[in-house]
Amino acid sequence: MSSKIEVPRPRSIDRSKLSYVRLHAPEVREAPKPLMIDRSSAAYSSAQPSVLEKNVHSPVTPGAVHFPLFKVTPSLQKAADKRIAQYPDDQRRSAVLPLLHEVQHRHGFISPESIEWVAKKLDIAAIKVVEVVTFYPGFRQKAPGKLHFRVCRTLSCAMGGSYELMAKLCELTGIDRDLADAHKDPISVSPCGNYSVEYAECLASCGTAPVCLVNDDFHEGVTPEKAEGLIAQYES
Amino acid sequence: MSDITYLPGKEPHEKEHRLIFKNVDRKGWNTKIKTYLKEGGYEMAKKALKMEPQEVINEVKASGLRGRGGAGFPTGIKWGFIPPNNTKPVYLICNADESEPGTFKDRYILHQDPHQLIEGMVISAYAVGAHVAYIYIREEFPEAAITLEKAIADAKKNGFLGKDIQGSGFDLEIYVHRGAAAYICGEETGLIESLEGKRPYPRIKPPYFPAAIGLYMAPTIVNNVESLCHVVHILRMGGEEYVKLGTPRNSGTRIVCVSGDVKNPGFFEIEVGKVTFEELLYDMCGGPRDGRKLKAVIPGGSSSKILRCNETFKIGRGEDAKEMTFWQLPLDFDTLAAAGSMAGSGGVIVMDDTRRMSWVLNNITHFYAHESCGQCTPCREGSTWMKKVSDRIEDGKATPNDVQVLEDIAYQIDGKTVCAFGEASAWPVEAMIDKFRDELVGETSDENDTRSAERVAQEQFLSAVQ
Repeated sequence: MSSKIEVPRPRSIDRSKLSYVRLHAPEVREAPKPLMIDRSSAAYSSAQPSVLEKNVHSPVTPGAVHFPLFKVTPSLQKAADKRIAQYPDDQRRSAVLPLLHEVQHRHGFISPESIEWVAKKLDIAAIKVVEVVTFYPGFRQKAPGKLHFRVCRTLSCAMGGSYELMAKLCELTGIDRDLADAHKDPISVSPCGNYSVEYAECLASCGTAPVCLVNDDFHEGVTPEKAEGLIAQYES
Repeated sequence: MSDITYLPGKEPHEKEHRLIFKNVDRKGWNTKIKTYLKEGGYEMAKKALKMEPQEVINEVKASGLRGRGGAGFPTGIKWGFIPPNNTKPVYLICNADESEPGTFKDRYILHQDPHQLIEGMVISAYAVGAHVAYIYIREEFPEAAITLEKAIADAKKNGFLGKDIQGSGFDLEIYVHRGAAAYICGEETGLIESLEGKRPYPRIKPPYFPAAIGLYMAPTIVNNVESLCHVVHILRMGGEEYVKLGTPRNSGTRIVCVSGDVKNPGFFEIEVGKVTFEELLYDMCGGPRDGRKLKAVIPGGSSSKILRCNETFKIGRGEDAKEMTFWQLPLDFDTLAAAGSMAGSGGVIVMDDTRRMSWVLNNITHFYAHESCGQCTPCREGSTWMKKVSDRIEDGKATPNDVQVLEDIAYQIDGKTVCAFGEASAWPVEAMIDKFRDELVGETSDENDTRSAERVAQEQFLSAVQ
């Protein structure tokens, strides 16, 4: 490959005749520093959108009025410490579920603030708490009603009439379940905020179908006709 | 034990043999430790603590006890899988995440007889050398969690838990860990992940048993509630005596839970293999409701393959092979496996001739689509596709080809996932199509639109533009 490529020579430029005037001495550039981000600095964490902001949505429901806003109380701290003590010292992460249960029991649902608290308490990243909250159907991300009905949807209860029970409960409490989605948004709250309904998957009492949980109370043999009595039981 | 009386209407059937459920629905029975001690409670724990751990394991091996959680694996052999040169702490976990549709046996043990479980756990923990044990209880049992914590505190006060139990030098702490309504936590490695505070994605096998690597990467034994309770009775009776209950290779008693379309659904503790479907469904459960006929039965929780009531099976090999009708099948692990299904967790769901199979199938596919953990693609996507196709069939909007599509999807999940959930979701669909193909195809029509709603909208839009 000996053939030379003819390259046109550039015309020489008389730089003194150029129209611009250099006002400053040529800038001396420093070598770029390696990119070091101090992730623990307050400036960094306030500038970055939190994992909670991006991934946790807690829409306000009419039921929210029945639950106190998340606040770290001495009783919550005490309960949390008791749960954490159940696991080996180097396995504090195991206490994620128990702590979230403590929070949900007191405040109705898991809010971003409570996730942050649990993460701090266990000394883990917030995303590790978020992944748990978003996976388990047992953790709610929005406030249910004062009375939360969990109707069993699975085969034996469905044969016993749990679909009809759900329809009846919705009719009696004025709940619109049209927008409910088993995965994304299972809970429907009544406009008054007193009631909410959700389908549960097998509550393990198939012999006494249909069954439902009202808050933490278990009721068996709740045929659609008994729905009115069930609600009345909690009214007084 | 003839002085035991039960609540009116809750008396056990004469064909029952009550060991585990001796105190369930019993008159004057409660969850207090005093009541349990009066009946000779914790005597077996004391006896076990005087034995060598290996002796206890041998006793359980001799009993032939098979796990009552679903897979039916021999409990004593599972205990033997702990590596002999192990230096890490050993954990015992009680799997109280009872969530297989159709099963409701653990509920009664946990709510009415928690001390029996704790005694069984003390013995089992001693046998496998665990000093920390967890009870993983499902979130839907809030009352049981409170009852159990109370029972554990009482047992500790009475010296059956804590440091130096009954002067034997053996320490054990039991803690209650509540799940959060996820079916997959019943899978033992998923349960362990959940106990570690993560998403319950089942672990990749091997190791096939967490006895090698389990909780916190240490050897872990996971047993079902019922299996752990059986250990108490094995020690009381002796393994040799216990094995005489039931039939060979299917020893002991087991609790069968019947639900669905029978007159008297409920739980029955029977000797394994001593009761046939005819006895169970007609004598014990009172047969079908008036004017109806039984059509199909799911024999071991919704994951097991459905059986038609008018089927006949060829059971056994070679010369021992014999024809059996569905009604003659005994309820044991091996016969049901030979009939192409499984004894599973003992949840018998009965359907009569008023049930549309497409509706039943649809309910089951919705369950599995909701509960798939999403770790493996075939199961995550497949369970949702099965739900969508079965929605169409149930709505009467399907074409005959949809039944074939559904079957194809099921066979592409089966055996291609990390855990047994893949089979659990595919088997019911495969069996349902296999046994009720004509009925399902009968609900479809060639004239139905095969286009999706999106495509119809798109075509309408395009035609309007032109």
